[in-house]
Amino acid sequence: MRLVTAIREREWPLVLGAALFVSLLTAGYYYNITFVQLGLIDLGTRLVGMSSSTVSLWMGALALLTFLTAVVVGVTMDRRGWSRDLRTKFRLLTLVVTVQFVLTAVAPAIRTVPAFGAWIVGCSLALGLGFPVSFSLAIDFVPVPDRGYVAAAITALTYFGANALPLAWSIDVFSALLTPAMVPGVLVLAVLSSGRIERVETLVDEWATQHERFGRGRFCDDGPVTVRTLAFWSPVALLFGVFFIDSLGFLRIIETPALVLSSWQSPDFGTRLAIAVVHAVGAGMAGVLYVNFDRNGLFLWIFALFGFTYVLYTSDLRVAAFFPGAASDPSILNPLFYSLTVSFYTTLNFALWPDLSTAETIGTHAAIGVGMAGWLATFLSTAVALSLEHADVGLLTHLNLVNALALLLLVALAVGLYSRRVYALARGDTA
Amino acid sequence: MSPTEIVPLLVVVLLLLTASGVEPDRMDVVFDGDHEQTTIDDALVVGGGTVTIPASATASGELFVVGGRARIDGHLDGNVTVLAGNLTVADGARITGELRTIGGSTSVAPGATVGSRTTLDVTPRRSSPAETAGFLALQVLVVGSLAGVLARRWPDLPATVGDAITHHTVVSGVVGSLAGAASLVLLVYMAFTIVLLPVSIVGLVAGFSLVVYGYLVYGFLLGRLLPIERTDLSAAVGAGLFVVVIEVLGRIPIAGALAQFGLVAVALGAVLITYLGLQRFEPADIPG
Repeated sequence: MRLVTAIREREWPLVLGAALFVSLLTAGYYYNITFVQLGLIDLGTRLVGMSSSTVSLWMGALALLTFLTAVVVGVTMDRRGWSRDLRTKFRLLTLVVTVQFVLTAVAPAIRTVPAFGAWIVGCSLALGLGFPVSFSLAIDFVPVPDRGYVAAAITALTYFGANALPLAWSIDVFSALLTPAMVPGVLVLAVLSSGRIERVETLVDEWATQHERFGRGRFCDDGPVTVRTLAFWSPVALLFGVFFIDSLGFLRIIETPALVLSSWQSPDFGTRLAIAVVHAVGAGMAGVLYVNFDRNGLFLWIFALFGFTYVLYTSDLRVAAFFPGAASDPSILNPLFYSLTVSFYTTLNFALWPDLSTAETIGTHAAIGVGMAGWLATFLSTAVALSLEHADVGLLTHLNLVNALALLLLVALAVGLYSRRVYALARGDTA
Repeated sequence: MSPTEIVPLLVVVLLLLTASGVEPDRMDVVFDGDHEQTTIDDALVVGGGTVTIPASATASGELFVVGGRARIDGHLDGNVTVLAGNLTVADGARITGELRTIGGSTSVAPGATVGSRTTLDVTPRRSSPAETAGFLALQVLVVGSLAGVLARRWPDLPATVGDAITHHTVVSGVVGSLAGAASLVLLVYMAFTIVLLPVSIVGLVAGFSLVVYGYLVYGFLLGRLLPIERTDLSAAVGAGLFVVVIEVLGRIPIAGALAQFGLVAVALGAVLITYLGLQRFEPADIPG
């Protein structure tokens, strides 16, 4: 690991930069999965008084608007050279975190649908600006060989915190926790982008040139990766599939009290801690696999684990349907495997986009990659979940559908990889 | 009792039925509530609640108790098997077949009549030191012999797997623990389907074989450290030593078990990432 060598050789700017990147991304991702995604449901249903279907529609709108904003921001970043300018990125992030600070503080006071809509638009713009900028920091702060491990650290810290901290999924609780927690972040970013403190400026100067030494991403060595190449779109499509499967299944799971109260919202701290530990261990495993194997291997693992997890869920439901008299305590094994899978793909998502980019393309690639795979997939899966709900599709059928999709993608990827190898051999490529 | 707990017991019931040559057309399963059963359709499984055969009734069929409570006050023309839960055979009650107690608790009143009665004691018997030593010696002999044969006939295979164990320990451990955990759960779930039970057994045997293969490779690696020139002999001695090490680790609480798990996971992963030793593992080449 380059970072271990850096610690040994006391290259503190490099180490500090990586630590700052991990802190920023961990805080940002924690904010996203707790406050925005979980808090929004509570805000819409409990405080504003909307139905869960209407809130889901608003969530879809948030995802779509975030995606569109991100693409505009990402392309602008690359065209105007902001992707290569660390100070500009710090300024943009300061703006984002300040807006998010205000949105977080005012959220519990929202009571009307127009205010809720305005809040959603504000969140979308902040997120759409924030994630291409924050993902692009990887090229400034993380050496290429360490991106898998750094992504694993972000995933592990985020999910461990989100699960081990015994917080109710309520906007008031999230707001009370996150508003003061964001103050140091705003201050640090303000100092970093102020340009007025000499010692900080020296450090930022050092960081600003690191991307030149780190070079291009790991997957750019076989040829240029652009938005016109399959090398970019195939991982986008695969990760889109991953996010779609996750979101489609999880939306239904969290609406099933028996499943969510025996796992992510369990009153038993031991259960939540077990999930948190599995998340952290899973992230570590994904980091090791990412660094040591081709990325397609990790995609295969993810689809296999998703398929497997939903086999577990649907098997339990089938058994319960077959023996309705049996008291059905949902198995802890199912959320544990689910958590393992989520950590796998989250780690991949954090590492993949910088590794498919150069300093000139990171803005666009991160925006399209994360936007399409993360936000657009969420938007579409929400729409599908809602239509399934309106069609009165049962839990078993719903999860069975998700399971089928995961298995289909697993088989399609395996066949695709094998066919590609056969094609290469047929053309005489023995490598 | 949850479905996850009840399904394995139902699998055992089906296996027992199959083994006894009985092919029931119908099997009833009771999970909760109080039931008075005056007749039994071929087979009745008590998984929860309470089932009573009243004093006035004469029921024919197989009764399995896997949870809850069963009470026989009348006559049962058939066999009774207790796997878990409680069975009470009251004064004046009669079982014409065999009463088999494998687990749970069984109470038979002095005035009850039972055709025959067997109790399977599943409490593990403490082996004598001589038996333990003998079994260990047998393991040492078998694993040592296999390691010797492997090192003599296909020395490249353990060398390749051993290289992954020593140089890519973390990767091997990650792949081994992930593949091991996922496979184990998958095989158990396959067994639940009954139809895939043979596949599940084959899978377990294959997994066990891979772990044994890993043991042989550890033996090969340990043998290299020994002052023995012959590769096959050193591998055999090393494998024997490794078996002893594993046995000693098993006697250390928690830390020993963790160490055993770690060794097995690393070995399994190394075997998998080297395709059983046929291809040297090369991690992805990352520039920078």
